[in-house]
Amino acid sequence: MKILVVEDDKTVGEYVRRGLDEAGYHAELVGDGDQGLRLATGGHFDLLVLDLRLPKLSGIDVLRTLRDRGNGLPVLVLTAQDAVDFKVQALRMGADDYVTKPFAFEELLARVEALGRRPKAITPPVLNVSDLALDTGSRAVTRGGRAIELTPKEYAVLEYLMRHQGRVMSRTLITEYAWDYHFDPGTNIVDVVITRLRKKIDHGREPKLIHTVRGVGYVVRA
Amino acid sequence: METIRGRLTAWYSIALVGTLAAFAVVLYVTRRSASFEDLDRRIQSEAVLSAGILAESFGSRGVLLVRDTLIPEVAAVLEAIPDFLIITHADGRVLFASSDARATFGAYEQLTSLAKSAAGVGGRGATRITPNGPAVRYVIRPLSGAGPQFGAVLAGASTQGAELGLQQLLSTLVVMIVIGVFPAVAIGRWIAKRALQPVDQIITEVREITDGRTLHRRLAVPMVRDEMGRLAETLNQMMTRLERSFAALRRFTADASHELKTPLTVVRAGVERAITRPDVPQETLAALEETLQEVNRMTELLDSLLTLARADEGRAELHREPIDLRAIVSEAGETGDLLADHAGVAIEVRTPPAPLVLAVDRSRVRQLLLNLIENAVKYTPRGGNVSVQLAASDGEVRLTVADSGIGIAPGDLPHVFDRFWRADSARTRTGARPGAGLGLAISKWIVEAHGGAIEVQSRPGRGTTFTVTFPRGDA
Repeated sequence: MKILVVEDDKTVGEYVRRGLDEAGYHAELVGDGDQGLRLATGGHFDLLVLDLRLPKLSGIDVLRTLRDRGNGLPVLVLTAQDAVDFKVQALRMGADDYVTKPFAFEELLARVEALGRRPKAITPPVLNVSDLALDTGSRAVTRGGRAIELTPKEYAVLEYLMRHQGRVMSRTLITEYAWDYHFDPGTNIVDVVITRLRKKIDHGREPKLIHTVRGVGYVVRA
Repeated sequence: METIRGRLTAWYSIALVGTLAAFAVVLYVTRRSASFEDLDRRIQSEAVLSAGILAESFGSRGVLLVRDTLIPEVAAVLEAIPDFLIITHADGRVLFASSDARATFGAYEQLTSLAKSAAGVGGRGATRITPNGPAVRYVIRPLSGAGPQFGAVLAGASTQGAELGLQQLLSTLVVMIVIGVFPAVAIGRWIAKRALQPVDQIITEVREITDGRTLHRRLAVPMVRDEMGRLAETLNQMMTRLERSFAALRRFTADASHELKTPLTVVRAGVERAITRPDVPQETLAALEETLQEVNRMTELLDSLLTLARADEGRAELHREPIDLRAIVSEAGETGDLLADHAGVAIEVRTPPAPLVLAVDRSRVRQLLLNLIENAVKYTPRGGNVSVQLAASDGEVRLTVADSGIGIAPGDLPHVFDRFWRADSARTRTGARPGAGLGLAISKWIVEAHGGAIEVQSRPGRGTTFTVTFPRGDA
């Protein structure tokens, strides 16, 4: 899938482009609205990631022109505006979804995947670590064939860790993924979830799969 | 008398009634002295008349007294004179007294003694027969042309008749003033209303300008350059300045969100890339995690500030859609359970059995609820409990978050929803970094933007209860 990224800030744009490349997409970056509109109407792209504040032609204008010409290219808007009315305006203009800056890349990726309307090639529907299995479709979790009941938040945290198995995930990243809410610093809600997950998954079983990385977060590995 | 209109009416009425009263007093006093002067003139002429009759009778007959009594012919003539008439002998004895003077109890003795004492010199005055009775005015005149036996003549009249007339006048005046008050008040009100109508209109128009979206409106300036016209013009100029500064604020918030968030995005992107890379040393990871936390803190603070800035302007809008509130409460309840577990606090979440669908902004209501729950858990010591309850009644949905925590001092209660407000150290748990103090301000905005209300009740040491009510509407 080819993705066009229109973003005037080079660092952010590069980051998005490289991240999407690493996730298995083909992403191209342009820095202004004129160029973005020209490329978007060319028909070579399957998705447009569009910043709203652009030099020359603003993101809203690009979007409006695109839709006025009857172009139905899926558009994911990047916006610094947190106010709902701005997002609503973008959605009314025909944007398909939006991500508010500063965003977690995971969130951007999830939305790109949803808009791409294709099976998640990067992540198989069933995640496995040792004898622990998590079905992202049915949300069923088993260890050694035995079903494990998880609450929604426990599931979300486990899924996130299993998606990135072998990599240390920080508490902040986990919180963001599972809650999308900024808790007070020092509220280590993730620790509580991990304690509960350990009871359900690792208690009385070997090998232990959930590991603590002091001062950072957690990692799931066999 | 809370309004200028009321005060104007009052002043107008007081002025009118005061004028009427002054007029009445002057009228009364003038009438009174005039009627007494009339009376005095009358008795004076009566005294002169009697002296004349006596002198003439003396001249024609030569004898007026038979055994110290006035001869009947002369007495009959004198009797024809009204009012009191007393004629004394030179040695003080009474020679004649009109029947009126004899008939009026008490007057006779008093008047005769007056006549005796002033026989030689004459005089005039007033006296009261009984302490509270009518006054009698009198004139005493020495008699010279009627022979040596005659001493003096006293003519007197009761003021009763004059007083009665004055009393009638007085009561007429009082009635007139009392009746006059009503039209005075009515006219006063009408005049005040007419004069102040433009003010009322200005108030109505200004009231309709509630926020940033209506600030472009201007007041209708009357053609007449009177006080009201100048007031409307001044207000319009003020609103123009306000609108300009609002526009500047709007530009600033938009710029600030872009200018501040772009670097934050860059920082975040870098940290995120580094932190998710395999084989990063643990110390670096810890530093990156801390950076990420701070970036999030800044992002949240920035979001809150911008939201409140837009809310002030009336531009922060909600993305409302019908949602079963129980789902949001249950989800927040699970998070509350995790927070409570960590803090050693018991939490209870109660939702009604039937769906409770309301058109709300899902993420905002979720933020509100998490905010209240997080606060409740934070300020409840280990072993305490927190209860979250969702309930529906006829016209409203009630959401309660109650804790058995440390409570809020009564003096602090009115300020908990203020921006950047933080209670003193008692409410700040040791070791934890306090938040920016915007959480409850944002919560209040969220509730009010949904047309609801938020209330707080608290007793230090007993706990705090936040009650949110949303109107049910048609959803």
